[in-house]
Amino acid sequence: MSWAAHQFEIYAVQAHLPKKMRGKVSFWAIFLGDFTPDFLSKFWVYGFTINGTRYGSEVPHQWHRGFPGMGFTHTLFFGAILTLLIWSWKKNRAFTIGYILGYAAHALTDINDSVGVLLLFPLLTLNFTSNTWAYAATIDGGKYLDAAAYYSSLGLVMDVLWLVVVLFSWRVLTRDHWRTQVVPADARIWAWFGRWLPERGLIALYRATFFYGLCRMISWSAWARLFADPEKYGEFGVTSRGFPMDLSWTGPYWLEARSLPSVNPWLAYPVALTLLATLYIVISKLWEPMGRKDAARRALNAKESASTDA
Amino acid sequence: MPALTSADVSEVSAPLPDFRGSRRLVGKEEWFWYLAAAISYIVLGIWHKWLLNWFVGPAWLVVFIVVGPWLTDRIGLTSRGISAAADVEEAGQ
Repeated sequence: MSWAAHQFEIYAVQAHLPKKMRGKVSFWAIFLGDFTPDFLSKFWVYGFTINGTRYGSEVPHQWHRGFPGMGFTHTLFFGAILTLLIWSWKKNRAFTIGYILGYAAHALTDINDSVGVLLLFPLLTLNFTSNTWAYAATIDGGKYLDAAAYYSSLGLVMDVLWLVVVLFSWRVLTRDHWRTQVVPADARIWAWFGRWLPERGLIALYRATFFYGLCRMISWSAWARLFADPEKYGEFGVTSRGFPMDLSWTGPYWLEARSLPSVNPWLAYPVALTLLATLYIVISKLWEPMGRKDAARRALNAKESASTDA
Repeated sequence: MPALTSADVSEVSAPLPDFRGSRRLVGKEEWFWYLAAAISYIVLGIWHKWLLNWFVGPAWLVVFIVVGPWLTDRIGLTSRGISAAADVEEAGQ
């Protein structure tokens, strides 16, 4: 799984919207779309313990990404279904497009760990993975071992890569961008938050996901490198403090990478990029027709509220 | 006829308050509060992992940015003068 990458990619998507969509796609929808796959599946991955009884999945990676399991939550197919439901409910173009973009970003980023995602579900129930780093969520190790493995492997590089993408588009974090590109697409939501927060708080709220991603990346990395006691989490043949860093493919070497039946790893990126390109073409084609429907819905709402007032 | 001169920098006023009449953060003061929030969250997060979650992280930043300047204004450590100075500095860059 990816950690801070999921926070950074929200801003990367926001910064690289096609020209005609700038200022017209909901930031909160991108956030929500990116958040949904793990929100629906991850609570049961690590599980929780009450009065000595553990509640959670028996095979975390099967639950999280597999079929059977909740792996369908990390597919574009399921993302598209949720997006269609959102569209049919609200007919809001800004929110609908933002949601599918966020959802796709999450699902496609997760092809990189050793479990991967069901990219072509339901046509194919095999996972697509590039095996770049080891998926490490386990019952015994929980979140701690998962973080230690991720931040001791190429997972850390992935986080840094997304961070660099955002930093190269640093204007996306500025007050000016927030005011001219983000607020207009989500005016009602920001107005609602504005009932309680001053402007500096609203800007902080916009930047908060980036802040959280950056801080957790540094905090978990520092813990894994300098302070963690590996013996507490299993037998890794490590006697010193801190987990060893290993930037080899499917690393780190000191942990067995979890996996599920999957297609040839060389197919993962071509298929993911093809899906991304297809998504781009589809939303580009639908942009104008959706805009007309959205405008018609707004006109109808305005008419109804005017007649109610009268 | 008196010579036309530009306004003295000391006459530059603080940025206009926002829609709630609250102070805006600019320049070094803004950096200070964001860095303070980040450093405190990172350091505490190393030893208190329960802080590192989706709710506490964003809330930490928002609380720091909203409450911090308000508090330092209340106890007299900062004032609108800081914002004016930061503005002048930014304008000079």
